[in-house]
Parts: sequence; C-alpha cells; structure tokens
Amino acid sequence: MRSVVRTEKLTKRFGALTAVDGIDLEVHEGEVFGFLGPNGAGKTTTLRLLCALIAPTSGTAEIAGFKLGRDDSKIRAAVGILTEQPGLYERQSAWDNLVFYATLYGLPTPVARAQAERYLRLMGLWERRTEPVVTFSRGMKQKMAIARAALHEPRVLFLDEPTTGLDPDAAKTVREFIVALRGEGRTVFLCTHNLDEADRLCDRIAFFRHRVLRIAQPDDLRAELYGRATEIRLLPKPRAEDLVRVQAVPGVREAHLENGSIVVASADPLRTNPLLVKALVDGGAEIAFVTERRAHLEDVYLKIVEPIE
Amino acid sequence: MTAAVLAVSPARPTLVRAVCVREWREALGNKLLVGMTLLPPVVILVAGIAAVAAAAVNPPSDRDVQALYAAAPAVAGLDPKEAVQGFIATYFLILFMLIPTVVPLTMAIYSVIGEKASRTLEPLLATPVGVGDLLFAKSLASTVPSVIVTWAAYGIYLATVISIGSRAAAQAVTAPRWILAIVVLVPLLTLLSVNLGILISTRVNDVRVAQQIGGLVVVPVVGLGIAQVTGRVVLDNGAFLEMTIVLIVLDLAVFWLARLAFQRENILVRWR
Repeated sequence: MRSVVRTEKLTKRFGALTAVDGIDLEVHEGEVFGFLGPNGAGKTTTLRLLCALIAPTSGTAEIAGFKLGRDDSKIRAAVGILTEQPGLYERQSAWDNLVFYATLYGLPTPVARAQAERYLRLMGLWERRTEPVVTFSRGMKQKMAIARAALHEPRVLFLDEPTTGLDPDAAKTVREFIVALRGEGRTVFLCTHNLDEADRLCDRIAFFRHRVLRIAQPDDLRAELYGRATEIRLLPKPRAEDLVRVQAVPGVREAHLENGSIVVASADPLRTNPLLVKALVDGGAEIAFVTERRAHLEDVYLKIVEPIE
Repeated sequence: MTAAVLAVSPARPTLVRAVCVREWREALGNKLLVGMTLLPPVVILVAGIAAVAAAAVNPPSDRDVQALYAAAPAVAGLDPKEAVQGFIATYFLILFMLIPTVVPLTMAIYSVIGEKASRTLEPLLATPVGVGDLLFAKSLASTVPSVIVTWAAYGIYLATVISIGSRAAAQAVTAPRWILAIVVLVPLLTLLSVNLGILISTRVNDVRVAQQIGGLVVVPVVGLGIAQVTGRVVLDNGAFLEMTIVLIVLDLAVFWLARLAFQRENILVRWR
C-alpha cells in the first residue's frame, strides 16, 4: 500500500511548549485515518504542519510525494483542509465562494465552474447557490466548507471535526461523502472527538497527545485491550449449570452472567463459539441469540489517552 | 483508483483579478464601508466647488485681501476676487491629496481585520497561493478604487472650477505641477496608506483603533499643504520630485514591513 503521508520525528515547538513531539506517521492511500486526542493535544498544529501552513521545528514529512519545507506550494495544491471554522465569505453567494477558491487553486474557469457545480450538487446546495452564505444554516456552511476543501480533487483531505454541531441528517451526508472519497481512492485524515464516528469510518486510528500514543485498527485495539467477548442469551434465562458448561469449553478464558446473558471471553471466538453453542445445546439450553460483544471505542480511548494525564 | 489532483499555483494576474473582484464585491456589500469610502471625496468636492462659487459672487473685504496677499505671496498682485478664487482652488487641491490617505486606509483595514474576524484567512492560506502575491493582490484591491475615486473627484472639480471660476482659479487647478501630483503622488500616497493599514491590521483587531492609528498618515500631508498655501514652503518641481522619491522609498519600506508581518505562520499562530 502506498503512503501519502509519512512523517519522521516531526516536531513543532512554540517557545517552551512542545505542541507536536517527534511524531512518526504513515498514512496509506485510500484509507480513512482517524486522529484522536483531547483538546489541546496538538491535533490542529499537526494538521497545519501536514498542510504546509506552518513550518516544523525539526523532523521531516512527505505529503503526496512532496517534501515539507521544499515543496510547500505543491503540498497545498495536493491536499485539502477543512478548518475548525468554516471561514466562508458570508456576504457572497455559495457559487461565488466556490468559484473564487477554485480559481485560487489554479483551476481554469470552465473547470472551476464545473467543479463548483459538481460539489454544490453533491452537498445538496445547488438550488441555493445564488444565496449569500450568511443565510445558510450551520450544517449548510459546514457542507460548503467541505466542498471547498475537496473542490480541487486533493489526494489527501484533512478534516478537522467535520460533523461537530451538525444535525443527524447533515452529519450523515458528510459521513457518506467521506466514504465516497475513500471509494475514489482518496485519503481522508479525520480529526474528531466523535468516537462513534471514528469507529464507523476509520480504517486505522492514531491516539495522540503531543505525540502518537498508538496506531491500530479499531477492532484490533478492542481485542487487544478487552479481548473478544461473546454474549449468549438463553431462554428463559441462563442456569448455573449452563455457566459451568461454558467455562469447561476449551479456549474460554473467562465467563460470567450479566443481565440474563452469559458473557464469554476467549482468545479465538471463531473457533470457540461453535463449541459453546454445542455445549449449551447438548446441556438442554435454549439459545435465543449469540452476538459479539464489542467494547466501545470510548473505553479504548480512555484507556490509552487518559492515563498520562 | 485515485482521481487526478487538479490544483496548481494560479498565475499572478488570475490571482490578482480574483482577489480584487472578491474584495470589491465584499466592499460593495458593506454599506458602512461604501459610505466611508465615498464620504470624504464627496465632502471635499462639494465644499471645494461651493467655496470657489461663493468666492466668485462675494467680493472679499480689503482686510481679507491684504491678509491673503501676506499669507499667499503666489496670488499677490492679482485682482482681489481672482486672488481669493485662486487661493481657494489651490487650497482644495491640497485637500484632494488627503483622499488617498483616508479612503484606502479604511478599505485595507476592513480587508485584513474583516478576514481575521470571519476566520477566512486560514482557508485562504491553505491554497497554493504565495503570501507575497496575496498581499500584493490585497494592496491593489484597496488601491485601485481609491485612486479612481480621487481622480474622478479631481476631474469633476477641474471641470467645474474651469467653468465657474476665474482665470486664476482655472490656472491654479490646471497647473502641470498639480496635475502631475494628482497623477503620480496620489497612487503613491494610496499605496502607502494601504500598506500601512495592512500593517496596522496585523496588530490590532478593532477597525476603529486601526483607523485612529492609520489616520496619523494625514498629518504630514496636511502640514505640507498648509505650509505650501501659506508660502512657508514652495513646492516647486524639485520639491515634487523629492516628494515622489521619498514616497517611493516609503512605499517599498512599508510594503516590506507588511510582507514581514504577513507570513503564514504569523497569521495563523500569532495573530489574534
């Protein structure tokens, strides 16, 4: 898999404060990469570094094949960024905003117009293209800002809190857009506090507080930190002997009763679950559901990020 | 499959045109800014024409004439009515030189402080555009309307004074030195005011504070004008040339300082 973002010991200091402390990152082409961390962790600074908006104090980075510090203008042409604030020209129409930015990205006029139309339609704003942005709702402004960031078809799109403050409908549009971008082979670097969203969208997640604490796939992190648990609901309810049978199944690490279910932790559920079902059925139990019990990403986040506070 | 990246750095003329058009649209949508831009030239123009017209119908007293001859030796010896009109016409020409120090300052301040307030600078700086080019485009966006407004106001004043004023008044407003001043010094003064406005705007967030600080640029112009009208300083061709050179040097120095302040990292990290 090709890397589109690669950093080595990338560091940014502001006086005595080290905002970004020697990070090593590798983000692959076509993946949605989550970047999670508490407020003040240095996420926005990292984004600004990777978009060649500010210079690193030390370390190196290569974005979309261009070297940070040497090809900054090319990096800015190859990436798009959604900043924390939409930052739109509110007295001007949606159309004028997008065509203006398309021009600044060097798109020839016919292409600029075609791209503005494409993204306004994609975001469901085409019918309101002539209206000043000041009349738009927060969700519409956020969609406009995302359209602006993607308008020049960047290879990497950096999104800082893209769904914060949006209603469920607008948030869904944004999430679908991110999935569509991944489908086109684009890379999305997603900064978010919405852990459920990160869980649903991201192929890999980096937990960050001034330095990268951990990078992994969400499921792997859950499995590593909490093991893989299976929840078995029995009718009418589990008996003590059912629990004993389950505990005797090879591969079971731990089993307990919880809210009318048996919760079983095992190293390899794919191998253990059929044995569990067989043992229970052989013992006369009536099984209603067998489901995977997933730890919430929030638990994972709190376990990785919080302890160093 | 990855779709092709479309972006490149835009050509400078394209960038300048895009930034100017956007800034002018924004300015035209701001009634306060339009009012503040048009008010000074309109007031100076109307007052100038009214003063020349009034001097044409009201003969001055002997005492006023003697005082005028003493204060402005250039008009000494002329017919009193002619002398007063010539003096007034010249005096208002100096006020025209104030327009390029006041009008673009407001536009330039709004252009930067407005963007700071609406948080539009970060997306703007995320484009492949060079900050020097962006600063140049912003300077031009404030300079061009101000120069056009000043020239238009001067044109109207010129035509009106020639048609209603005395021969002395007409000679005063059509003196090659003043025409040259309007053509050459007005753009230079405008650029100075604009870049000073931008420089100040990088440090403050309040439009009124920025205007108060920037307003100081009118002081030397007013002082020079008064000194010239009262005969204390004679603005001959040599003096105009020296002023032009000084203004060019000042323009370059202030643009350089504005360019130093207008750095991506400064704007994003230090500007508040």
